[in-house]
Amino acid sequence: MLVGGCDVGSTTGKAVILDGTSIVSHFIVPSTTHPERTARMAMDEAIKGAGLASLTDLTYVVGTGYGRLKVPFANENVSEITCHARGAHWLNPAVRTVVDIGGQDCKVMSLDKNGKVLEFAMNDRCAAGTGRFFEAMARVLGCGLEGISSLENQGTNPATISSQCSVFAESEVVTLINEGLDLPNIVAGINNSVANRIFAMVRRVGLAKELAMTGGCSKNEGLAKALEKKLGVDVTLLPQDPQIAGAVGAALIAGEKASSS
Amino acid sequence: MHDKHNKDAIEKSLNRYKKERDWFAFLLQAAEMMDTPEGKLQVKLLRILIDSKEKVIDCSENGKPFIAAYYCTAPELFTAMDLPWFMIMETPFLAASAPYITEDLEGTEEIGLGTDLCTAIRLPIYYIETGQMPVPTAVIGLLSPCDGTTMLQQVLRHNSAWKNVPLFSPDPPYSSDERAIKYFANELRQMVRFIEEHTGHKLDIDRLREVCEESNRCYSLWQEYNELRRAVPCPHGWEIGGAQAFAVSQCFKAGDPRCTDWFRQLVECGEEKIKAGRGANDYAPERIRLLWFDIMPYGWIFEFMPWLEFEWGAILVTDMFSNFPYTLIDTSSEETMFHDLAKRNLMDVPMIRQARGTAENFSSDIVRLVKDYKIDAVIWPGHMGHKDGAATAGIMRATCRDIGVPFLHIGLDLFDRRYTSVDEVKDKVSQFFTGMGLG
Amino acid sequence: METNLTSSAFKELAAAASGIMNPAVDDWRSRGGKVVGYFCSHVPTEVLMAAGILPFRMRGTGSTGTELSDAYFSSINCSFPRHTFNQALKGEYDFLDGLLCISSCDHVRRVYDNWKQNLPTPFIRIMSLPKKVGDPQVAWYREEIQILRDELGKHFGVEISDDRLREAIALRNQTRRLQRQLYELRKREHPPISGAETLAVMVAGSSIPAEPYNQLLRTLLDDLAQSNGSREYRARLMVVGSELDDPEYLDIIEGQGGLVVTDSICYGTRTMWVDVDETAADPVGALARYYIQERPSCPRMNGDQARRSQFLQDLIREFQVDGVIGERMLFCDFWCAEHYMNKVDLKEVGIPFLQLDREYILSGKGQLRTRIQAFLETMGR
Repeated sequence: MLVGGCDVGSTTGKAVILDGTSIVSHFIVPSTTHPERTARMAMDEAIKGAGLASLTDLTYVVGTGYGRLKVPFANENVSEITCHARGAHWLNPAVRTVVDIGGQDCKVMSLDKNGKVLEFAMNDRCAAGTGRFFEAMARVLGCGLEGISSLENQGTNPATISSQCSVFAESEVVTLINEGLDLPNIVAGINNSVANRIFAMVRRVGLAKELAMTGGCSKNEGLAKALEKKLGVDVTLLPQDPQIAGAVGAALIAGEKASSS
Repeated sequence: MHDKHNKDAIEKSLNRYKKERDWFAFLLQAAEMMDTPEGKLQVKLLRILIDSKEKVIDCSENGKPFIAAYYCTAPELFTAMDLPWFMIMETPFLAASAPYITEDLEGTEEIGLGTDLCTAIRLPIYYIETGQMPVPTAVIGLLSPCDGTTMLQQVLRHNSAWKNVPLFSPDPPYSSDERAIKYFANELRQMVRFIEEHTGHKLDIDRLREVCEESNRCYSLWQEYNELRRAVPCPHGWEIGGAQAFAVSQCFKAGDPRCTDWFRQLVECGEEKIKAGRGANDYAPERIRLLWFDIMPYGWIFEFMPWLEFEWGAILVTDMFSNFPYTLIDTSSEETMFHDLAKRNLMDVPMIRQARGTAENFSSDIVRLVKDYKIDAVIWPGHMGHKDGAATAGIMRATCRDIGVPFLHIGLDLFDRRYTSVDEVKDKVSQFFTGMGLG
Repeated sequence: METNLTSSAFKELAAAASGIMNPAVDDWRSRGGKVVGYFCSHVPTEVLMAAGILPFRMRGTGSTGTELSDAYFSSINCSFPRHTFNQALKGEYDFLDGLLCISSCDHVRRVYDNWKQNLPTPFIRIMSLPKKVGDPQVAWYREEIQILRDELGKHFGVEISDDRLREAIALRNQTRRLQRQLYELRKREHPPISGAETLAVMVAGSSIPAEPYNQLLRTLLDDLAQSNGSREYRARLMVVGSELDDPEYLDIIEGQGGLVVTDSICYGTRTMWVDVDETAADPVGALARYYIQERPSCPRMNGDQARRSQFLQDLIREFQVDGVIGERMLFCDFWCAEHYMNKVDLKEVGIPFLQLDREYILSGKGQLRTRIQAFLETMGR
């Protein structure tokens, strides 16, 4: 039985097709200004990738993400909090804490042994600690997201960026550049400041190993390293692209709904 | 009371408090190396402070009675009852620039309290919730001047380790007339009965009279000293004699002869400097006379205050805590003493006098201080915890406009530099001074 | 607000809650009636009623900004007084003959100081509300109420006799009883009225004269008596918090399937769960005891947290509540710490709890929906 999950975020749209217990295909597209268009694009590509003829081959589809209400072909929608937790847990059943850093929000969930969410903390009122923040920083540094993410680029003497607001943090970084600070140290400072934000949220829901990162920003190795240092635990890797964890979770829920009906 | 489990809990509860004592012992060492009259004053003050801390530690470790209370709950009474006491909210005011404070601040976020709650409230809540606050025999709670403070008492009561510690909080009326004073005097009487019942320490009226008379001596000297600060140039700046005078008179042991002695020396110190025509900072001539209308920014004071003097010649001539109506306590009878103590603690003590009731004192204090001290600029730091003060910003601004003195509202956290960085504050202040043609 | 209610009584009530001025107030004033605005549910409105004055609870409904009040308040102040004062500065409250404030919280109490300096409202007072709930505090508040009675009498030229006070108390209690009856209906498995609809009815209660309001309530109760709610829901929720007067907020929660069946909020149970003692010989004393000790308290009142916690648990049992939403306005110190304690207390009894921060004027609907949805999913519903 084939089911689908579609995670429509602010920066990217993700679609996953599951066949029982394995991922048949997945696809990530850049988001357009219309969530329904993004959803269609992602799902169409996933369907193509699975060698299927059309959407109708899917028994059930669950939509999630900020655009979840606008997934026209979804049978229902589930919050991204539940989906990311389920997805991460399915990908690695040892996971008990999930840190999801998306395009314009970040959240932390604590899970029980079945992947069910126990508690969650969310920051969706400001850009600090989200993909937007990293994009802005990458622009200011002129180094691209790769430059901020790759491990080789992390300085050993991270600059302190104290601004709570990402807009002011940008000015702070410009000042640091003008003062001639080493780029790697600025980069490490940026990742540190996000790690600090996440740290507070993790401690609020309670840190339990294993901890996994999902969402687009989880591919930022520098951030993962900074978070590991701050939390004192390793970030456990997921066997698939962590960015699709939400769509995976959605697909899993779709599977459950399809079986029970 | 002294089984092992309890001993461990007591040790843990004293851990941070001892760190604080050690921090001040360290400052004392530094002060002892200063061979100036001001240095000697610092040494005296630090000794009084450390001594009061040692007493609390001793009581806690050896099961002797001691209480938690506040500077605005008539501390003369505690001296008269010979009862060691400490302020649950001490840390942000005294040790916010200690190196271990950042860890504690992160701790406040971890326990999930909203970050818009005053840092000076969150820190003690964090300590209480994590067992790092000495548990006294009884608690005198504070319900003034702000909402945050009242919630501290409620969280304290809710905490399982503190649930059974007797708690009494004098209720502050909103008004400021004779009726209010009488009501509060009765609250203080109830407080005394409460303390007597739970600590076994009794209040003797004659002893109270002695203490109040000593306190009166301190206040008279304080008044004398503050007249000296009206001089141009001001003989002392942020480092000496300002808020410290408040600390000595109200915070550690009110009405103690050591305090009077300290004030006497303070006055001498000030007089000497004026005689010699010396300003607050020999290396930074006075160019701007500043009213800092709040507590000192204890979280980053060493990075900011000297900069003000050296960069701008901005001398902190006076601040919210350096001032007081110096009305003395009439010691004729029990009734007059309780009446005057009530009045002092309800309507005179700093911050309570401005923030407890309606906003008049925000205005009238600014007007009086600007005039008395020839103030060139008024700064309302805009601490994130002062919600009522934030809603009084417009009134303060209008007042300053009326009397023709420049006014700056910054917006910061007096204890947590991560809220608004010191650089940002310096930047705002610099722009203000430049813009107003000061310095 | 989504509603299927066809009751014309409900429509009238909902209309009164949706703006500041309403036809009933207009009518009252056209017949020479006086209106005094007030903040906070601890104000003894019975005294105003006894003086023949319409008490009007202050709201910032319909505010689109705080450009005017920003000159007086700051960005770290609660958005409720900021918006309400802004509406006043725009002239939306020019119809008031007086303003009765109370030392409720750090933000709202400064409306008094700023209003006094900037608006010409003839009668402006602030009452001193004790911070504790003991007998000396009841005695103090009794005096405060007596002083209010004298000042009102003098200014408005009315004699507020004990009898008139008793009548006002009786009338106000009638409202309370009717409102409790409304809440009773929500104990059903399929309540005929939603949380959003109920809030509209409660808010209307503080904006309309008591007699017509009670009449509308009786009609509404009749209309609802035979109907059964058809709304599908995933869980029965209770909302706990403060100055929530916007039904749309609850509408969004209920839109996700979280039916709000009861509450402890400023416009909810706290104002009407208990009656003022009508048998007392001294009505002023009865009022003082009611407002300080007898009514369900809020975190403004110190030393009462255990009783508040018990009150929540009683409501949870009575209304078969599945989960609790604790909402608070940003910068509210009272509810910040209260929810901190609620979280612990509710966890102990196994009741799911979600804390939400909000602004006075509804914003971030998408974010709110996500959190509610996630909360319901977490509850396994």
